[in-house]
Amino acid sequence: MEELINKIKSRIHLSAKAEAYFYSISKEIFFSKDSSLIRQGQTVNKIYLVTDGCLRSYCTDINGREHTLQFAIKNWWISDYIAIHNNEGATLTIECLTDSTIIEFNAKDLEEMLTLFPEYEAFQRYILERHVVSLQKRILNQLQLSASERYDLFLEQYPDIEKHTRNYHIASYLGITQESLSRIRIEKVKK
Amino acid sequence: MKALQLVQYGEIKDSLAFKEVSKPNIQANDVLVEVKAAAINPIDTAIIKGNLQSIIPIPLPSTLSYDVSGIVIEKGDQVNEFEIGDLVYSRVPQEQMGALAEFVTVNSMSVAKKPGNITFEEAAGLPLAGLTALQSLEYAGIKENDKVLIHAGSGGVGSIAIQYAKSKGAYVYTTTSTDNVNWVKELGADRVIDYKTEDYKTIVKDADIVLDTLGKNYTLEAFEVIKQGGKVISIAGPLDEESAKMFGMADYKLPEELTQLCNAKEAKYKYIFMHPNGAHLSEIKTLVEDEKIKPIIDKVYPFADSISALTHLATGRAKGKIVIKLS
Repeated sequence: MEELINKIKSRIHLSAKAEAYFYSISKEIFFSKDSSLIRQGQTVNKIYLVTDGCLRSYCTDINGREHTLQFAIKNWWISDYIAIHNNEGATLTIECLTDSTIIEFNAKDLEEMLTLFPEYEAFQRYILERHVVSLQKRILNQLQLSASERYDLFLEQYPDIEKHTRNYHIASYLGITQESLSRIRIEKVKK
Repeated sequence: MKALQLVQYGEIKDSLAFKEVSKPNIQANDVLVEVKAAAINPIDTAIIKGNLQSIIPIPLPSTLSYDVSGIVIEKGDQVNEFEIGDLVYSRVPQEQMGALAEFVTVNSMSVAKKPGNITFEEAAGLPLAGLTALQSLEYAGIKENDKVLIHAGSGGVGSIAIQYAKSKGAYVYTTTSTDNVNWVKELGADRVIDYKTEDYKTIVKDADIVLDTLGKNYTLEAFEVIKQGGKVISIAGPLDEESAKMFGMADYKLPEELTQLCNAKEAKYKYIFMHPNGAHLSEIKTLVEDEKIKPIIDKVYPFADSISALTHLATGRAKGKIVIKLS
């Protein structure tokens, strides 16, 4: 939590009152491996910051297959923003791939934070812009790069993550079959 | 809800009817599953024909089928392992038989989350055959470098048993017909024996385990190919004495010929009767997600064509599972 406060302070001036309020609306929670923070279909009103561990968000299509949208490791934010913004049931399930510690915020409390302490908005905007950048990159990479190039970028973006993930998690993140992922890995070993 | 029910014993075309029945109720340990797909197995056609009336007495009419995948939509007070919305698969216990319906109630002990990397249709094809393969080979204590003969590698049980045995590091022999040799090889079997052109008894020597999925002569012949102290596991041969007791046949004796063969080879003979088990299905889920086991689907039928699906199954020519899509 202290790390987050320091990060906020490095970008904006956070008054003692605002800092105290921010502390009061945050909750550090430990989740064991395989537990779910959000389940597809449920109401969502929480946003999470990962402080330790590894999480995955995915949707399940009409045929029952999972498609991974995002992995979240230390310092990554994760939630189902569609569900929060549109006030509808979750499209995503968010599960812990390892024992994980997160800081939980109620989305309404964060909104209240912006009303009470408008200076916080600059930090909120920074987080959102970083999130949009990450999503834009992901879409563009998906459109224009080969599977092998996408895999390279994935490894850059999530170093060491392969220790915690199953092959089908990564294959479904890259939008390829598990066989293709195995082929790509074999080719990389040969090089 | 709509259900396909067995209304009388006999030929498939004369014995089944789609009926509107009430949605099943759940008990404290049950989940109610909205069925997405159900799979059919040889046991279903045997039930329809009335061949199993003495061992599996069921009231008529009854909804058919055991293999299911779908979504948990209700759960009993005592169920902690599952939540509403979980995607699951199961081999439904005998007393809850009825997967060919819009909803089915299942004891949560028999349920597992479905593998995330396959469809509902693929998942529905796994439970009965997968549990049979796993429980047979686990009973035999399968381990790395064991030599295992699996009969009928293209069948529902055989195709999964080959993959399960390979995941344990065994050397796998399997038998199949010429048409199936190539795709059975792709499942990972080390030596695929085309029974139309080769005699497996001259190829397989000193096997640690034989998985007999065919019965009759194959059960007896298994003792020709196993090593001294080997194991013959059967899902189609005669009952062993322990299994017979479970069915209330206290005075049952293993056929004399089989007893002699067991003694001569100091071998173990065991008849395996698959039992529903959620923990075993979770093990299969992991193997499927790691691509150690791939479900093999012959054909997916819409619910309205279930009777055609059962007729197709009865021909015995399916290569992999026959699945029925509910919604």
